[in-house]
Amino acid sequence: MATNMTRESEPLVLRDRESVSSEGNEHIVEAINRRYGAGFVTDIETDTLPPGLNEDVVRWISARKGEPGWMTEWRLQAYRHWLTMIPPEWAKLRIAPIDFQAISYFAAPKEGPKSLAEVDPKLLETYEKLGVPLHERARLAGVAVDAVFDSVSVGTTFRKELAEAGVIFCSMSEAVKEHPDLVRAYLGSVVPTSDNYFAALNSAVFSDGSFVFIPKGVRCPMELSTYFRINAINTGQFERTLIVAEEGASVSYLEGCTAPMRDENQLHAAVVELVALDDADIKYSTVQNWYPGDENGLGGIYNFVTKRGDCRGVRSKISWTQVETGSAITWKYPSCVLRGDESVGEFHSVALTHHHQQADTGTKMIHIGRNTKSKIIAKGISAGRGQNSYRGLVKVEKGASGARNYTQCDSLLIGKKCGAHTFPYIEVKNPSAIVEHEATTSKISDDQLFYCRSRGIAEEDAVSLIVDGFCRQVFRELPMEFAVEAKKLLEVSLEGAVG
Amino acid sequence: MATAFLEPLLAAAASGGSTNREWLAGVREQALRQLARDGLPGPRSEAWKYSSLRALGQRRFEPGDAAAATRNVDAGLLELAGVEGPRLVFVNGSFRADLSRLPSLPGVELRTLSQELRDDADGLRGFLDRVHADPADVFARLNTVLAADGPVIRVAAGIVVEPLVHLVIVGASASADLAWQLRGIVELGAGASLRLVEHHVGEAGHGHFGNSFIQILLRAGARLDLLQVQNTPESASLVRRTEALLESDAHLEMRSIEAGARWMRHDLVVEMTGDRSRLVSRGVFALHGRQHADTRLDVRHAARDTSCDIVWRGVADQRSRGIFHGAIVVAAGADGADAQLSNKNLLLSDQAEIDTQPVLEIHADEVKAAHGATVGQLDERALFYLRSRGLSRAEARSLLTLAFCRVAFDSIENAALREHIDAMLLERLPLHEDEVGQEPTSP
Repeated sequence: MATNMTRESEPLVLRDRESVSSEGNEHIVEAINRRYGAGFVTDIETDTLPPGLNEDVVRWISARKGEPGWMTEWRLQAYRHWLTMIPPEWAKLRIAPIDFQAISYFAAPKEGPKSLAEVDPKLLETYEKLGVPLHERARLAGVAVDAVFDSVSVGTTFRKELAEAGVIFCSMSEAVKEHPDLVRAYLGSVVPTSDNYFAALNSAVFSDGSFVFIPKGVRCPMELSTYFRINAINTGQFERTLIVAEEGASVSYLEGCTAPMRDENQLHAAVVELVALDDADIKYSTVQNWYPGDENGLGGIYNFVTKRGDCRGVRSKISWTQVETGSAITWKYPSCVLRGDESVGEFHSVALTHHHQQADTGTKMIHIGRNTKSKIIAKGISAGRGQNSYRGLVKVEKGASGARNYTQCDSLLIGKKCGAHTFPYIEVKNPSAIVEHEATTSKISDDQLFYCRSRGIAEEDAVSLIVDGFCRQVFRELPMEFAVEAKKLLEVSLEGAVG
Repeated sequence: MATAFLEPLLAAAASGGSTNREWLAGVREQALRQLARDGLPGPRSEAWKYSSLRALGQRRFEPGDAAAATRNVDAGLLELAGVEGPRLVFVNGSFRADLSRLPSLPGVELRTLSQELRDDADGLRGFLDRVHADPADVFARLNTVLAADGPVIRVAAGIVVEPLVHLVIVGASASADLAWQLRGIVELGAGASLRLVEHHVGEAGHGHFGNSFIQILLRAGARLDLLQVQNTPESASLVRRTEALLESDAHLEMRSIEAGARWMRHDLVVEMTGDRSRLVSRGVFALHGRQHADTRLDVRHAARDTSCDIVWRGVADQRSRGIFHGAIVVAAGADGADAQLSNKNLLLSDQAEIDTQPVLEIHADEVKAAHGATVGQLDERALFYLRSRGLSRAEARSLLTLAFCRVAFDSIENAALREHIDAMLLERLPLHEDEVGQEPTSP
């Protein structure tokens, strides 16, 4: 298996560190290393911008990507607005101050690959280790992949097949050049450049991302997928994703994230915009497994993401599913603006925090159109010293007659030092709306554990089983491969949480 | 940041309110400095997210009421059906012995803050020296600086007080709009038990700003049954704060009825510092017209095996706005906590708004915590059933709305009092007006 190679090649450092106390206990060392299986570094020369941010950096990025003048101006406007903003402090997160001048805002592999065949084999190897179905494997798995490797899209498969269906699936940089009218019409229309601190920053310096356009009446013939990876030290990743589904179109989009082990915090500030016109249907699934930092809270990704879907058309539907197991800090609220009558928004989430991880995540459902519906299922798991908050807004505007929302947030506590918090906001201005919210917090029940153990199931396996059951409602929303990965991720992430 | 609102009040505080107690002078000075520094919370203040203080900040009130002792008050205002025991009356923040009824009860002190400040101010340490570090607690600070009177009720250890004690807080008309302050203290010794009614009323038409702050301390095993009936005229603004500290095995049983005031904010802060202490809170707000009511519960479990059981209901009609915030915090180490909160709301008009925010913050793992919140309408099937039994639509709606609110007070044993509240709510509920013939606007 490819993952075996990972363990052989890289974790020598760890082995040295461990050998002092546990000489010969190779299985322990292996277990420790396995905890973050994706923690390896690919050795490729990168063309990195020196740390720092100013208008010249913004211009440089734009010029480097060969963008038209309006795009440069758009970025600069965002940058200038960002300068006037202050970082948000309302989330229940403890964040060391971020020095935005110490971050490098662009990193790209030096030799720009033109096709998959030219992709650096080391890169492909990296994806193989992560199990990304790229190239031939992609065809077998039936997944088209737009893989983002440190800011530049290195390969997009299945483009031809998609093109025949009329689907545009390419990197954002290509889209800016090849489909400027579409980009110009939709970019920033859901998350404006001035939306929030991190969205403004992203708008100014975004490096790449995916662009998906499903024309009228087309059901995208396959599930689309992007695999993000952070690789170089001290580089922020600023993806920008835009998905537009025209009338009657439908698409399912998967996004997976893993990052190698680093001891410094890295910043990830992405923006995802979804637009669904009449009768369109967008399903967006994420498995986020950025490096969470070690058990002492050292290192890990800062994940500040703005995701918002705009149900512009009647009967349109946007569904977010997320499994958040990684990142030192997660700040993320995938939202739906239910503008079209009878539009539907859904949010299914599992967020797990272990060791010193902190997550403040949830959703916003803004009901504007008539008979709009939304459903929120959020599951939080806290272990170690993890802090996990659900923060959600359900807003029913005056005109949203017949609006309906159901929210369920459950939290599971594993250990004495973790925390689980629920901060829902419910604002209703229409008397025919029905909004329901319920939340529970508890630890794994002793009865359940006892029952499993009496059946001969080891404690750790029993916990896995119970956690899996706790998350089932969300996992079943995921495409199959993702559901398997998600389940595995939870198991790995919870290692050492019991006993 | 002195606003039109704060300016005269801070000026009054700086000139008056002398005390010969150093600790008290220090506390007041500190609060005054904080007020001058922080001013009124702005739109970014989370605690004031749904209740803007902008309009209030632009209003100017006379600080206190020099004529409070002689104001004529309609005796009928002070009556509450089913409540005939001891009575303490405060008019525009000042005690009125002439309107009060203070029988001697063994083991019970029914006194006032002004008396205590004069005779034994040091006995108020632990209450008046409470510091509010959060700028959002602006009115608590203001109260610390300005309040000169209020009830001081003490029950000695082991005493079970039979009669229901009636505390009446009255806003009486004056030639100008006043800002009055009231600070009350309720202290129950170990194993003591008291039933208290906190009753807010006022003469119609006045536009006073009232700031009432009651501190409750329940020693080990004490029990306080507190009924709060707030029925001030819809021209007044009223800010209330109830802070309670529960020692081990203490039990606070609350019923809160919020019906009056044009603009109302109630902060209910309960800290369970003793093992096995318990809070039961039932409440309802029923709003119409342009009323604005913001209820904010902050319950903190800071000891083992504590429990809280909170059920609140809200009704908003016409152009009113009802806000509910119910936060439960379980501190690290507070194992065995059992926390339940339910908040259900009826939104009856397309001009009205309900904002609800149940919050759980859990830092311990041996915990059972749950909350639920809903916003919706009356059940069409229940309405249909009642109509099929011959009730008009309006009657059916009134009946169902009242039943919805009743959860807050149907456990009150005093039948006369319960019926009084029924009648009070029915009158406030918009549905008493005859809607017969009107077809429903619901879906």
